[in-house]
Amino acid sequence: MSANPFDIRTVLLAKHAQHVVLIHFPIALFTAAVALDYLGHWTKSRTLAAAAYFNLLLAAVSTVPVVATGLAAWQWALERQKLKGILLMHLVLGCISSVLIWIVFWIHFRVHRHPEESLPKYRLPIEAFAVFVVGLTGHLGGFLSGVNGPG
Amino acid sequence: MRRSVSIAVLLVALGLGIAGMGAGTGSFTASAQQNPETTEVKIDNFSFGPGTLTVPVGTTITWTNRDDIPHTVVSTEGVFKSKVLDTDEKFSFTFSKAGSYPYFCSIHPKMTGKVVVQ
Repeated sequence: MSANPFDIRTVLLAKHAQHVVLIHFPIALFTAAVALDYLGHWTKSRTLAAAAYFNLLLAAVSTVPVVATGLAAWQWALERQKLKGILLMHLVLGCISSVLIWIVFWIHFRVHRHPEESLPKYRLPIEAFAVFVVGLTGHLGGFLSGVNGPG
Repeated sequence: MRRSVSIAVLLVALGLGIAGMGAGTGSFTASAQQNPETTEVKIDNFSFGPGTLTVPVGTTITWTNRDDIPHTVVSTEGVFKSKVLDTDEKFSFTFSKAGSYPYFCSIHPKMTGKVVVQ
């Protein structure tokens, strides 16, 4: 309990494997990307669309370490607890979130490679649904880490 | 003659009384050894209940996780440490020395409790 927060071992050897830290990157990047894409769609701004694309790229890339550290946290912090209840829901929704982020990125990536094409409108409800799933996953993760607990 | 009978009755009564006290003490000691005190602490809603517990030396405390979330019971001073407890799993520890034993959940360090052994 009296660990020195500036001791590098508290960073490298944390049993949560920094999952609780890294998870904020895809959440923030993806949410910002969707907001920028919606704004770009309504204002027909290419600059906003480009900003959305690069946010999406970083969001998709950042899901890789987040999934890896999530599995590591399950292994080390939770000692491979049975996958059930909130833990199971968090894992399943986390995987669905990652897939949705990559799908949204893929839609944008295809158009980015062929600038003559325009982004399909069906991406907008997919993006909204993905934001909802990401939010729900984060909410459940907050329960597991105690952040969303009472008090 | 009557006096001797009275003395004899008194002595017998005294003997029975002493024997009874001895037997009583013996049975008390035996029962204390056979049934050491056990106390339960519930883990629920991200808290230990009761948060602070005062018990006599030799008491065994059993923590039961009633939460939907995994928790641990870890002594701040390294005296005891449970594995990760799933829902309805238990951890017990017998306190054989007097003292104050603060503890926490290593997954959720905001969750703290204390056992005072007297």
